[in-house]
Parts: sequence; structure tokens; C-alpha cells
Amino acid sequence: MKIHLKHESWRIVLATICMIAMGTAVWAQEQSGSSTPASSTVFRLEQAVMCEDIKDYLPYNAAVVFSMEIGKVYCFTSFSGITKKIYIFHDWFRQDRLITTKRLLLQPPEWATTSSIQLREADKGPWRVEVKDETGKVFQVLRFSITD
Amino acid sequence: MLQGLPMNFLRWQDIIDILVVSYFIFRLYVLFRGTYVFRVIIGIGFLWIFQSIAAYLGLIVTTWAMQGIIAFTAIIIIIVFRNEIKNVLQTKDLTSILWSVSHKAYQTSVEIITQSVYELANRKIGALMVIPAKDDLQEVVQSGLQWRGVLSKEMLLSIFWPDNPAHDGAAIIRGDKVMEVGAILPLSRRTDLPSSYGTRHRAALGLSEKTDSLVIVVSEETGHVIAVKHGKITPINTNIELESLLQRHTGIAVAEKGVKERQQLQLGLAALLIFMFVTGIWFSFSKGLETLISIDVPVEYMNRNPGTELLDSSISTVNLNLSGAGPLIKSIKPDQVKVRIDLAKAVIGLNSFTVTQENITLPPGITLKKVEPNVIDVILDVPVKKELPIQVDWTGKLPPRLILESIRLEPSRITVVGGSKILERISTVYTEKVALDTLKESGQMVTKLALTPASLKVESGRDKVTLSYRIRKRAPEGS
Repeated sequence: MKIHLKHESWRIVLATICMIAMGTAVWAQEQSGSSTPASSTVFRLEQAVMCEDIKDYLPYNAAVVFSMEIGKVYCFTSFSGITKKIYIFHDWFRQDRLITTKRLLLQPPEWATTSSIQLREADKGPWRVEVKDETGKVFQVLRFSITD
Repeated sequence: MLQGLPMNFLRWQDIIDILVVSYFIFRLYVLFRGTYVFRVIIGIGFLWIFQSIAAYLGLIVTTWAMQGIIAFTAIIIIIVFRNEIKNVLQTKDLTSILWSVSHKAYQTSVEIITQSVYELANRKIGALMVIPAKDDLQEVVQSGLQWRGVLSKEMLLSIFWPDNPAHDGAAIIRGDKVMEVGAILPLSRRTDLPSSYGTRHRAALGLSEKTDSLVIVVSEETGHVIAVKHGKITPINTNIELESLLQRHTGIAVAEKGVKERQQLQLGLAALLIFMFVTGIWFSFSKGLETLISIDVPVEYMNRNPGTELLDSSISTVNLNLSGAGPLIKSIKPDQVKVRIDLAKAVIGLNSFTVTQENITLPPGITLKKVEPNVIDVILDVPVKKELPIQVDWTGKLPPRLILESIRLEPSRITVVGGSKILERISTVYTEKVALDTLKESGQMVTKLALTPASLKVESGRDKVTLSYRIRKRAPEGS
């Protein structure tokens, strides 16, 4: 019995040490924030699409050509396997010129997020949105055009 | 050579230009010197100088009047002196017109005439011989019979032989030819002539009063010989006197060394003055008519390293301000003006070149005044390959009830060759504009790539892609 208790206490000690170590690691990771390489995370891009609108948290009228008349274009992305809060980026390019970068938060375990731009007359032409993580890894490039 | 002037100021054509005109005027001088034509030409020359001065001073009416007078005089000279001009030109062959310089315009066979005259005098055969000088006889001599025979003692004797129908008139001797016989000369109206003088003497005197001809008369009654010139009667007693008189009149050989040298000096001086005059005129023309133009000339790049590519240049043309004589400026052809930049020493990256005279090729006689801009920036690059995605460049408007849902390109990526600096900035190759307006349903089409800049090339050479597109109808609102 004594020996058994000893074993139990060892287990408790080991478990405590492990918990402290894990807690420290999580704390350290949270403290370091974006400095942790996102590529080490296992979250996946489930869907990425350009659409005319977002209805009920889902893309509405996905397309590759958008008329100026609709006024706004959305980039919808959904991710799974998210283990912690993390940021992704939607980089909007008109031809090869970076127009805007949207920083979007992902929450565990799966999350959908959107970015959009307001359309102006000068925006007509070919566009692309690069979906990236914090390390710059490109998940997908969405190509579309804004026309009359 | 020409201090203070650019090397290309005088072209070889300009030198020939001056020499040809100088020689032409010199020949006119040689042919017409001593004649009225020449004096009138000199007069026109002075009028022209006067007109130029008037024009320079801005005397409008005077300039206009001078121009009119010169034009009028030039026409008049041809009409009034047509015979004199004809005589000069007719009595000479092409070589004498273009080249030879005779000390006198006309030559007479002095010895033949002298011997003939004394043969006629000895035989008391009346004779009347006219040896013209510069003046034209056509206006004053009438009814002459064209002869044009080569002068000889026998011929002269036969012409004046009493049984010859033409013996009463005058024989006109020009050079070594008897030009006319039986010519009727104008009679003098002088009243102070000796009674022994007959019609021949009066005719000789009449002609000499009106022209500069020398007229020789052999009296039929006495056998006496007289020479008449400028209205002055000179009795001739010996062969030597007649020969000397004829020689003075015709100017043959005779002329003493000093006289000949003086004539040569006179010709040389005339040639020099004419050359200076023409050169002055040429310079006043070429400088006076100097014109400025401004032209845009494309820049040509030479000796580029084959391993490099001209990526960009700050300008493609330079503006040149050129000056030169008006006719030269007007005759400039585009391929005669070139701006060349030597890229032999250019490096990869930015190179600045100053455009100087050495970079510019101009036709002779044209001067560069200004280059704008005078600095050209050239960027050289090394060609590389890069695989790029292709994106469709849609244009126009899809019917509102349709949605272009997705597209697929075949191929979706393409390898492009171009300058590394260019490709560094490019991440997508776009197609040419594809119109949406005509699309009604899903389908397929082939479209071309629009490579910008044009220096980019598709490695495979195939610059077309197949575009498959899917169109669906838009769901009704609220559904």
C-alpha cells in the first residue's frame, strides 16, 4: 500500500510537472503571438470563393466576373482544424498591384471569414485575392474580374 | 582650314558649285570682253548688287523696281544683242567656247590680205575689203552674197576681177574666211573728201564711221591703197605698213611680249575677281538663307551585348535643332539624320548616356544647334524564364440575369522569357480583352495572351489559350 501510494504520488508529481510545463508553453506561445510559425499549425482551408454577397454566413452568387453595379465584392474563406486563435490575410491585387490587405481572425476549431471591397469605376479590370497565413504561405489565389 | 567654322561647313558639292559658276562667268567674260554685251552684263551685275543692298535695307519699292529692271534688261540684252551673241557663238567651236583663251576674238590672215592688196594695187584692180572687229555688221551692210570661202590670194584676186559680178561690192573677211562678197556698205556723207575719192572710198569711210571695222580700199584708177578705221583715212605706202596696221587691228601675234603678258595678267585678275565674287555670293546665299528646323529622331542602340536585353529607356526619340542653308534643310531625308548610342560599355542596370555630336549623324552642310533631352537613361537586363499563371481579362457586361460562375484555362500556366527585372515585377500573364456581352451560355473559346511589355516572349511560341467557361442563371430575388 505504501509503495502504491508512493507510485501514486510520483504520478501526481509527474502530472503536475507536465501540466506546469504545458501551461508554461501555452503561456509562452500566447505571449509570442504571431511570432509562432503558423505553418506549424494544422488548420486547413476548406473553401475560398469570390461572391456577390454573404447570406447566412455563406457565400451568395459565387462568380469570377462581377459587375460594377453590385457595388461590393466579397472574398469568403472557411477553415477547419484550427487549434487556437490565429490570423490569416486576404491580399487584394488589381493586376499586379497590391490594393489592400485584410487581417482576419480565425477561432478554433473551425471558422469562416470574409473580406470585401467597395467597387469604384477605376477598379475595373482583372483582380486576384491571395489567401495567406502569417508566414506568407499562400493557401489559394482567387482570380476574378470587375467589369461594367 | 576654316578657322572658327565646323568641319562640315563646306561640302565638296559647295566647292564644285562655286567653281562651276565662277568658270561659267569667266567664260562669258572671255567670250564677250570688249563687246557691248559684256558692258551691259556688268551693268546688270551692278544693278543686282544695288538691289541686294536695297533689299537688305528694307527699301521695298526700290527692290521691286530693281528686280523689274534686271528682268527687263536681261530680256532686252538677248533681243538687242542677238547678232553679236550669235557671231561670238557661231564663229567658235565648242572647244573655244569652253576652253581656249584667244587674245582676240577674231583673227585674219594678215599675210594673205597684204599680198593680195598689193597684187591688186599693182594691177590697178579696184578692191574694197572689210575686216570686222567686235561690232556687228549685219545692221549696216546690205545685199551681201554669202561666200564662206577659205581665204587665199587667188580668191581675193578673182573676187575683185573686173569681170566678176560681185567685184563692185565689199568683201567681208573674218578670220581665215571670206564671209560675204558684193556687200553694199553705207556711204559717208562727209563733204571734205578729196575729189579723187570715189564711191569705194566713201563706202569705206561710211562703214568705218558706224562700226569698228578696218576697211581697205584699192583705187582702181591710181592703184593707191588706203585703210580706213573709225572715220580716219590712212594712206598705205608699203606692205609693212599694211601688215602692221592689220596686225594692230586683229591683234595677232604681233602683240609684243609685254602686251601678251598684260593680257594674261588681265585674264588672271578677272578670273580671281570672278572667283571672289562668286564665293561671296555663295556665302551670302548660304548664310543669308540659313534656316532652323526641329526634328524628332528615333534613338538607335548599337553594339548591345547579345546576352543582355534593353529593358527600358527614358526616351525613344530625341529632338534635334538643326541649322543650315534653306535648300539643304529642305532636302533632308529621315534616313540622313541618325542618333546612335553605343551600348558596348553599358552594364546591367541603369546606364546614362549624354548625347553629343559624336552620337549624331547629319548630312553635310547641316549644323547641330541643340539636342533635347541630351541625357538618355538606358536599363539593360539579362533574359530569364519564368512560369506564370494566366488570367482572363474580361470586359464589357454580362447580361444581368447570368452569372459567370467559373472558368478553366488550358494551359493555366505558361513559361515566359524576358528581362529579369521585368519578370520580377510580373506575377500574372493576362489574356487579351474578352468580351462578356455576347456570352449567353457555358462554352469554350480560344483567346490570345497580351504580353506587356512587348519584349516578353512565350517560350513555346504559342500565345493562345483555350478558355472554358460556365454560366448559370441568376436565382430569382428572394428565392
